[in-house]
Amino acid sequence: MSETLAEQTIPKARSAAAPFAACFLAWLVPGLGHFYLGKKVRAAVFFVVVGATFALGIASDGAASLIEERQPLTFLATFDNVALGAFDLIGRYLTYGTIVYALPGNEADPRRAELLDRLRARVRSVTFEYGNTFLLTAGLMNILLILDAFDIATGRKD
Amino acid sequence: MIRSHLLNMVVFSALVAVFFAFLTQRGTRDRLRVILILGGSMVVLSLVLAYVMYPFPLR
Repeated sequence: MSETLAEQTIPKARSAAAPFAACFLAWLVPGLGHFYLGKKVRAAVFFVVVGATFALGIASDGAASLIEERQPLTFLATFDNVALGAFDLIGRYLTYGTIVYALPGNEADPRRAELLDRLRARVRSVTFEYGNTFLLTAGLMNILLILDAFDIATGRKD
Repeated sequence: MIRSHLLNMVVFSALVAVFFAFLTQRGTRDRLRVILILGGSMVVLSLVLAYVMYPFPLR
């Protein structure tokens, strides 16, 4: 019996848990979701491209964003950084010497001053803007990879 | 660390072009076409825009 057009063009969906596993793995390490779904060449390319973008961001003195309540855009920037999964942890450690996501609200808090000092050291670098652009772009790339892995796992895309 | 603005732009364009080529295309030919068109247009349009903006003062 011949296949219908829909069967020919739309791959069958995997198990119910596969989309969530693929999305989680894609978030954890860029390309890992595609590797899990059997797209090994794409997985390798995505890992190298997103990894290189992230590495250039860090090497150019880009900084992982911290949430500061008075600056709403820092929520978006931090969300974008967090989308890099394990890479974000590395980025935060290299930027601040610890894994931190928010700037303490109390201006007298010595922890706030320490974090700001570490941030300012990068902001003063002439390549800080380049680095931040690379870091934010790497995060946006990985958000697209998570969505792409979801589409592949649900059979919407090959 | 790359300090040249032009080199940063070229590297950035190349990475973004390769990313979208593999995200949206399947064949090698189609991917190469996207890399050349997207990467090339990012660099060329940026240079054109920079040239157009050149006569305008910062303030």
